[in-house]
Amino acid sequence: MSDATIEVLDLRKRYGRTLAVDGLSFRVEPGTVTGFVGPNGAGKSTTMRALLGLDAPDEGAALIGGRPYHALRTPLLEVGALLDAAALHPARRGRDHLRWLAHSHGLPAGRVDEVLEQVGMETAARRRAGGYSLGMRQRLGLAAALLGDPPVLLLDEPVNGLDPEGIQWMRTLLRTLAAEGRAVLVSSHLMSELEDTADHLVVIGRGRLIADTAVSDLLAAASGDRVRLRTDARARAMELLTAQGATVAVTGRDTLTVTGLRAGRIVELLNADDVPFTEVGAHRATLEEAYMELTRDAVEFTASAGTDEVAS
Amino acid sequence: MRWLHAEWTKLRTLPSTWWLLASTVLLTVAVGAAAASSLTSGVCPSPDACHEDTVKLSLTGVWLGQATCLVLGVLSMGSEYGTGTVRTTLSAMPLRWRLLAAKAAALALLTAATGTVAITAALWTARLVLPVRGPTLRATIGSVLVLTLVALLGLALATLLRDTAAGITLGLGLLYVVPLLADLLGSPLWRHRLHRWTPMPAALSIQATRNLNHLPIAPWPGLGVLAAYAAGLLLAGGVAFRLRDA
Amino acid sequence: MTTPTLTPYRSRLHPARAGFGRLLHAEWTKFRTVRAWPVVLGVAVVAVVLICRLGASGSSTSGGGPQTFGPGGERVVDLFRFAHRPLTGDGSITVRVTGLKSADSRSIEPWAKAGIIVKQNLQEGSAYAAVMATPAHGIRMQWNFTHDTAGSASDVATAPHWLRLTRRGEHLTGYESADGRTWSKIKDVRLPGLPRTVQVGLLAGTPAHNNVHRAFGGTSETYGGGLVTGTYDHLALKGTSTATAWKSTDVGGPVPNGPTPQDAQPGRTNVSPSGTYTLTGRGDIAPAEDGPDMVQMSFQGVFVGILFMVALGTLFVTGEYKRGLIRTTFTATPARLKVLAAKTTVIAAVTFAAGLLATAVGFSLAQSVLRHNGFTPPEFPDLSLLQNPALRAVVGSAALLSLVAVLALGVAAVLRNSAGTIAVVVALVILPQILSFAFPLPAAQWLLRVTPAAAFAIQQGVTRYPQVDHNCLPESGCYPLSPWHGFAVLAAYAVAALLLAAWRLRRRDA
Repeated sequence: MSDATIEVLDLRKRYGRTLAVDGLSFRVEPGTVTGFVGPNGAGKSTTMRALLGLDAPDEGAALIGGRPYHALRTPLLEVGALLDAAALHPARRGRDHLRWLAHSHGLPAGRVDEVLEQVGMETAARRRAGGYSLGMRQRLGLAAALLGDPPVLLLDEPVNGLDPEGIQWMRTLLRTLAAEGRAVLVSSHLMSELEDTADHLVVIGRGRLIADTAVSDLLAAASGDRVRLRTDARARAMELLTAQGATVAVTGRDTLTVTGLRAGRIVELLNADDVPFTEVGAHRATLEEAYMELTRDAVEFTASAGTDEVAS
Repeated sequence: MRWLHAEWTKLRTLPSTWWLLASTVLLTVAVGAAAASSLTSGVCPSPDACHEDTVKLSLTGVWLGQATCLVLGVLSMGSEYGTGTVRTTLSAMPLRWRLLAAKAAALALLTAATGTVAITAALWTARLVLPVRGPTLRATIGSVLVLTLVALLGLALATLLRDTAAGITLGLGLLYVVPLLADLLGSPLWRHRLHRWTPMPAALSIQATRNLNHLPIAPWPGLGVLAAYAAGLLLAGGVAFRLRDA
Repeated sequence: MTTPTLTPYRSRLHPARAGFGRLLHAEWTKFRTVRAWPVVLGVAVVAVVLICRLGASGSSTSGGGPQTFGPGGERVVDLFRFAHRPLTGDGSITVRVTGLKSADSRSIEPWAKAGIIVKQNLQEGSAYAAVMATPAHGIRMQWNFTHDTAGSASDVATAPHWLRLTRRGEHLTGYESADGRTWSKIKDVRLPGLPRTVQVGLLAGTPAHNNVHRAFGGTSETYGGGLVTGTYDHLALKGTSTATAWKSTDVGGPVPNGPTPQDAQPGRTNVSPSGTYTLTGRGDIAPAEDGPDMVQMSFQGVFVGILFMVALGTLFVTGEYKRGLIRTTFTATPARLKVLAAKTTVIAAVTFAAGLLATAVGFSLAQSVLRHNGFTPPEFPDLSLLQNPALRAVVGSAALLSLVAVLALGVAAVLRNSAGTIAVVVALVILPQILSFAFPLPAAQWLLRVTPAAAFAIQQGVTRYPQVDHNCLPESGCYPLSPWHGFAVLAAYAVAALLLAAWRLRRRDA
């Protein structure tokens, strides 16, 4: 068993009458960025808190490198976490915030400057945290997570509050970190934030696992046998293709999405009937679409399973 | 009037408000009853031969009840600064003097109502333990006013300092440490001055029903001292609130 | 599921073992880097020093008349009726005490005394050892004012009792007997430097009646009177005496020290033909406990210091809970009890250091002010900062400030809310003092025994001896518990708060 893994095994956690996580299991391998996705209140934060030993699981286990968090002797060297970027004392300088963290593990002072440089906060860290923007807080939080140069990273909504440039920077950084062989778990409630970042996805809803899949597989499945067609003669094309048993949806002023027919067959049919078209190609689903499809399935699943409430 | 309603709703919907008000009643009654029952027959053989001011003794709980009222007053403003709600409040009710007045009014009404319950219950409980004699009306009304003014003092301090912890610390210093120093000072002159001119020992002279001519300050002027502190600080807080950026 | 193509990453940093020292360093950095906290600590020091000095400047004295000092240098009362003969060299005195009763219209004081004494000379404050009967405390052997040992609980009002005191060099041994035949030793004591010739004989005396009238807002203490008659027979002196007859002296003279006229009257001695001696006398042989406590008077500022310490102890914890920073702390150090211990250590250390600076400087300033205001030796001996009771009071006050901060920290970790914590701790520590001035005496003393306010006993400079009755009035700075016992009460509160905090930290999700 390698050190750089995150494992959640049949985790269950209840707060009062709310069941926040209900039998969740997944595993994050080193070298990947794993997106941890679900709507607000799906149990992402609870799972992260259980992984960090902040909340005790009612049942099951949340393990880092095969061990529960409280068994780690030098946790900052094994896991870096960004939970809540606002968790700073407003009167303390950003640099001093990292300093006490460094002292708790006997890390050299130079390490603080290294991570500050890595996140681009060298100047801002000399100011008191009370005056930071949300983006600065996120960067400082990331610096704190990187302080111990850990093989595992748990980041809760890290791109929240970052400007487009910052989001781009964060994506590159996360991919670099994973490429070094780290296991990176990034939670988000917006699938689009994980586009081009995550290799793998763990999707949860209402505290249960909905999907645990590679991004490429998910996209392939979501794209299915759909074909995108650009044509100026939209009505004619629709009539023709529907008659051949395909399902046709209008997706733009001059675009149609066709399901049920291969691209080659469509070209044949259109040519045979002399319908003009400018482009026929396999449809590439966005991650967002794939996600919507997944959650729709989950809704259907929970409804058919007889649950009275459905995942939103 | 609408602002008063808004402030009332804000105060009412904080769970800490109800905890503090319940504690005010509970502590005032419990300490008063304990003080009354501490009056053994050795100290007080019979109602006629009793030199203790039994009315004042049954109202000892105000010493503790004022702490919860202070906390209530401080929190009514301090929690807005602590959570940043103050910005929302000010965008909805931009006239700061009127806002502060509405806050003070809601706070005063709530504390006065609770104070009336607490003081009446304390006297009533003490009567079960010992024969409380003497004119109780001034002491009762006065004690309710003390609790109300202390809550306003808390509001004023929080407005001035914009911080819960600092407001409570300073307020408790004024309510507890100053009278303690006043009692312990070696110089009789300074002791007398502190007893007369600091809010806490002075205001509680309103509870006295015996030996009135031995009091360092007469009952109503004593309460006036506390009222002056509360009003003065509220005014200072209001000016600061008006002039500062939120 | 992707198969990892890379070797898993390992931290390039050395996996240093997270020791407790590192945790202390981290918590110290946390304290240091919120600028308001060191500033508050500094302000606290200045406030304590200033108020200690101001408080002392309010006190002045024009001197309290002539004072008597015992062999140990402490202030004493040494007034009694003494029927005596000189004794040279070794010897012993034996007597049967047949009665001890009040000679004024009031009931007898519990510590009235009738018995035998060996005294260096007839001067007030000279060394002595005595065996005596008392109305309420049985047979006692007392020596050099501050020492007291209990014998049997016999009461001479119900049956006569035999007493004996033998001298061998500097050693004096007290005995008692119910029948004059079987004797039991009470104690053997040494009076260093006792001359060859001493005065030995019968003593009679009583502390003055002391009445406290305490009503709301005022206390009046009346002090005076007291006259007792002791009756003795079978008086026998063994040894060499230069005098054959017993002479009577009122040691300390018939001092007019009370409001009633008979206070100035001399004592009486009657000897009946059958050998019954009747001594009537007043005054006491005991350490003096009246007069202002110069040590305690120098610590007024500590009350103000407490406020700052409570705020610091509270905010050091609630500041983290308020913003969720506590989760970062527990992520860095999952062992939560260690975090609590480190926080406690840091806050205790910084508040103690600041407190010690404040109380040492404040005490010294207050002392010089008091000297200036008439509190001068010999009535008010110089108090060295490095000697008890001043040392105990200075260090103890600093420890008190520190423990209050720890108490606040513990309560804060339980309540997780600064408003509630500050109010609860200040009410616990300060309010009992105020109420103790107002409550009837038994309730007031109870309050000062069971609340953290008991710890202020650590500032007492006057030793309260059990062989002296005193009305322990809170307003005159008396605490019912001894300094260290009082301090232990506060310590118990702090420990209880920490235990509760530890239990809550372990049990609850962060």
